[in-house]
Amino acid sequence: MMKGSVLEALEELRQAFPENVVAEEDGEGGAYVKISDVALAEIYVQPNTWVGFRIPFQYPQADVYPHFVRPDLARRDGRPLGEAMTSSQWRSDGAIQISRRSSRRDGALETALIKLDKVIEWLRRRP
Amino acid sequence: MRVEAVIAEHHWDKLFRHMFPGDHDEHGAVLICGKATTPEGLRLLVRDVVLAREGRDYVPSPRAYRMLTAEFVRRNILRCRAEGAVYLAVHCHGGSGTVAFSSWDLESHERSYPALLDIADQPVGGLVVAQGAVAGDIWFPDGSRVDLDRLRVAGTSITDFRAHALPADVAQDMRYDRQSRLFGDRGQMILRQLKVGVIGVGGVGSLVVEYLARLGVGSLVTADPDRVELSNLSRLVGASRADVGMTKVEYARRLATSANPEIAYTGLCGDFVDQEIAAHFLSCDYLFLAADSMQARLVFNAAVHQHLIPGMQVGSKVQIDRNTGDVTDVFSVVRRVVPQPGCLLCNGLIPPKALQEESLSDTERAAQRYVDDEDVVAPSVITLNAKGAAQAVDDFVFGVTGLKRHTQEPQFSALYSHSLNNNIRKDRWRYSASCPHCSSSTTSRRGKGSDYELPTRIRC
Repeated sequence: MMKGSVLEALEELRQAFPENVVAEEDGEGGAYVKISDVALAEIYVQPNTWVGFRIPFQYPQADVYPHFVRPDLARRDGRPLGEAMTSSQWRSDGAIQISRRSSRRDGALETALIKLDKVIEWLRRRP
Repeated sequence: MRVEAVIAEHHWDKLFRHMFPGDHDEHGAVLICGKATTPEGLRLLVRDVVLAREGRDYVPSPRAYRMLTAEFVRRNILRCRAEGAVYLAVHCHGGSGTVAFSSWDLESHERSYPALLDIADQPVGGLVVAQGAVAGDIWFPDGSRVDLDRLRVAGTSITDFRAHALPADVAQDMRYDRQSRLFGDRGQMILRQLKVGVIGVGGVGSLVVEYLARLGVGSLVTADPDRVELSNLSRLVGASRADVGMTKVEYARRLATSANPEIAYTGLCGDFVDQEIAAHFLSCDYLFLAADSMQARLVFNAAVHQHLIPGMQVGSKVQIDRNTGDVTDVFSVVRRVVPQPGCLLCNGLIPPKALQEESLSDTERAAQRYVDDEDVVAPSVITLNAKGAAQAVDDFVFGVTGLKRHTQEPQFSALYSHSLNNNIRKDRWRYSASCPHCSSSTTSRRGKGSDYELPTRIRC
């Protein structure tokens, strides 16, 4: 069972990523969400990744953070992935954790979709 | 079924000034209300006050003295239908201390309310107000009709208005002799009739429970998931080694009933953030938040504004310089959270980061490498807790017994008492016009009662 605010966030995500969204209840009214086939920029070896994150039951006041991507993500130039990206775990799988907090978050304006878009854009624009 | 209405102080001020501008004439308005179902009955929660403009919305009537125009009624009943809200028409009479509908008033209800019920598919009704008295006639879609039990004005003070003033029904109880010389028999009766929620029965909460019980509050609801530990004994008032291992709510039961054997006490061993625990607090008249989680703050803040229940958040903090280890500040804080613009959320006191971190399991925290903030440690001093608890309960008791009125200045939203330099600092709330808890925005949860989800945890 998910909170109404979480269901609204999922609906917005599904409209933006049709057929690419998988959501599971987290047991508290929130959801674990995984978006598949997210296109990456050419700086990476891999053309795409999945993105996983949790929407807490107190969303939208609670931040949606961190986000996780495929564990084998690598740069074509061989350099380390860089700041805010660390080896971690998403649920039971290995993953790269992307730690992009929203410092002045307004829950009414920054939906889970908007936050996801920001993270994906940041990932694509890495130098 | 018992039906009461609750209106926030600032809305009551707006309505009262419109009804009684000093011209001794009749004036009208409409109240847009949410609903909340409690064990005691139904609460109508005023979300908005729409004043009827003289000569445009409120005009001479061919059948009575004045009436709301058809267009004004239509506009507001359609709004109620769209919002799932209750429509209450209000007008005023002269006199004081007692009020009743005239025969013309009741005839107009008979003529118009059936049609309004059809349109809104929600309860509708009328209120008539006089100085110090309010009567109400509430109609329901199932055809039933109930007199309003009371109109409560909820804020820094709590005032109840009925059609007729109740007699003070207090057998003299020598336990309260000294304090009733200040509060009066009626004030003591008010305390006995109140149901107060205390969220968290740790160092601060145990003191709040003690004070409320000794003051003669009639009913207490407490929630805390923890058990008494040896390390708690320096802060839990009246606790001993024999209490170690007991649930904190059971320890608090002994505390409360020792002080007042007649008190009705409900102790919930669980987390206030959980939906089924929070539900027990929604029929309270006042809330004290003495738990230190941000998740609890969010639910408490939402409950205050959604159900129009005034409250107080109490805590204390010790700040340490991360580099030197020196204690840089020690303070207790009392924050009034009442159903009016300005709240914990729009004043940045419920950080999104903290809410997210508190939602993590221990495994997730370890995997994501969270490090506790070493700048701030949980205070552990009973005297610090006592400062905050005493200020909070003091403010509560003088507010609910009518000795402190919200119009008296200066008022504070937050009171900080600093121990190292003995400074007292008062803050006043900022207010965000888009706050999802306390603003007048149609998307805010203010006054929506049971028709809106609280940000509680659902255990699946």
